[in-house]
Amino acid sequence: MGLLSIIRKIKRKEKEIRILMVGLDNSGKTTIVLRINGEDTSVVSPTLGFNIKTLTYQKYTLNIWDVGGQKTIRSYWRNYFEQTDGLVWVVDSSDLRRLDDCKMELDNLLKEERLSGSSLLILANKQDIKGSLTPEEIGKVLNLEAMDRTRHWNIVGCSAYTGEGLLEGFDWLVQDIASRIYVLD
Amino acid sequence: MENEEEAEALSSNPTREALDLDPALQKKRQTMLERLSNRHQTRTDSSLTRRSAESDSASSPSFESTSTFLSRFSNSKSSIESQLAQCRLSDPTQLKPQLDQISSSISDLEKLVAENSYFLPSYEVRSSLKAVSDLRQSLENLSAELLPKKKFSFRNKGPKKDPIAEPKEKEKEKEPEKSGFRVPASPGIWNKKGETLVHNFKGSEVGEFTISDLDSCEVRLMGSVRALFVHRLRNCKVYTGPVTGSVLIEGVEGCVLVMASHQIRIHNAKRCDFYLRVRSRPIIEDSCEVRFAPYCLSYKGIEEELRETTLDEETENWANVDDFLWLRAVQSPNWSVLPENERVGLIDISNSEEVRPLPVLLVSMCAWSKR
Ligand SMILES: Nc1nc2c(ncn2[C@@H]2O[C@H](COP(=O)(O)OP(=O)(O)OP(=O)(O)O)[C@@H](O)[C@H]2O)c(=O)[nH]1
Ligand SMILES: [Mg+2]
Repeated sequence: MGLLSIIRKIKRKEKEIRILMVGLDNSGKTTIVLRINGEDTSVVSPTLGFNIKTLTYQKYTLNIWDVGGQKTIRSYWRNYFEQTDGLVWVVDSSDLRRLDDCKMELDNLLKEERLSGSSLLILANKQDIKGSLTPEEIGKVLNLEAMDRTRHWNIVGCSAYTGEGLLEGFDWLVQDIASRIYVLD
Repeated sequence: MENEEEAEALSSNPTREALDLDPALQKKRQTMLERLSNRHQTRTDSSLTRRSAESDSASSPSFESTSTFLSRFSNSKSSIESQLAQCRLSDPTQLKPQLDQISSSISDLEKLVAENSYFLPSYEVRSSLKAVSDLRQSLENLSAELLPKKKFSFRNKGPKKDPIAEPKEKEKEKEPEKSGFRVPASPGIWNKKGETLVHNFKGSEVGEFTISDLDSCEVRLMGSVRALFVHRLRNCKVYTGPVTGSVLIEGVEGCVLVMASHQIRIHNAKRCDFYLRVRSRPIIEDSCEVRFAPYCLSYKGIEEELRETTLDEETENWANVDDFLWLRAVQSPNWSVLPENERVGLIDISNSEEVRPLPVLLVSMCAWSKR
């Protein structure tokens, strides 16, 4: 293998961004991924295991790992932590009762050493549902201000149904990761 | 670094003839070749993984290898199968330990699936679990046949040691105050006992709706909502029109629920009958003795509402239940199809204007009371 091809390969890899999507079951992770990939969202079953989607976003290749959030499979999340550049935490903003669970699981996740370098995007999903909490309110419930100051994070309201907010969120995430990792690009 | 290895291999291979003559050197060369070919294999594998990950597809490539798993799985499976076959020929006094041994091999196989399930495509998970469950069934049949006198029982069999039936931990009351923000209450029906509760969403702007903490009530929801939360119900009947998003059910016991939705998730349900129309696969978690049947609700205008929410078509998904708790175990004993002769028939709630209290007695006339 010549030097040139090695360099080319490294360059190519550099444009890859690995994103891990997690959150409680029913928060809308799979629907969001399908929506940003322009796929049909009318029949989505709860995720038993995980899905991976590879898509091109601006000049980057995003590898999006969508892992099931049902209680019994949350223990598998840790299998996906390695090499995660961006973490997307999806919240069902209409599920008021489980916000405590949601906060607890997020807090646990952020304690994870292997995720300490990754940018965090919180998607306050289901904004289309009347009665949903706003992203600001979700931010307060999750007590985001108290987060470790070295963490790059952002919270954006969105709806996987209307598509609203998704681009804004992923734009921020990709820019943040790119500027952190590929400064010389 | 790789080139160094290869160079080393070459330098230890001065002339072919010399190597062919010297057995010691030949052995060394063999090891070296093996090492090189392994390295080559790893490299090809990982570039394959990368390539398939790059190709834009819905499939699930992963960093682990599905084929490695499958070959390991099928090896263990055939070994268990032949052990099972051998049991018939063996000394009766040796039978019990032999069967125990097989049982623990099956458990190991189950564990193998569990440990690998995070990267396996869900079809493989499902079919592996099915295979494990079949093995267990054969083992049970065999022991029933060969050990007729002694009662042979398996660790995870029998009603006593049902891991789900025992309440996990006490539902802890949540403290609403968190970091100075008070979560508002959702629209819904809360804390009722022995009442019939009717709600029509038609023309209203309700997004999400909650029914919570009800005992011996009948709930009739007409019209459609986007999301429905059902929490802590005992001995209730719940009839709902179409839900365009999902229904999330948590903590229901001794209830009959008739619902139509794009997605239905059931947690902590015990002794309940579900009559469902659902576009995706319904799931249960931490549940037991739940039974499923097709949707059977009628009221004025329901046909149109179902059409508008694309829930008019019978997908038969009511019977495609996934039990997440048994993801790593044998075929779920926690749910079943409700036998046709025990189903309630069409329920017409058209005349629900008048709200009349429901006698508590009525509610206990449920199909499962025979159990
Ligand atoms: N109204 C509304 N419903 C949504 C939205 N996003 C998702 N849903 C619905 O919420 C339910 C759950 O969505 P999924 O995408 O399956 O959720 P998930 O987070 O992948 O769930 P798991 O795979 O179990 O972790 C589905 O019925 C979706 O149709 C949204 O933005 N608005
Ligand atoms: Mg999902």
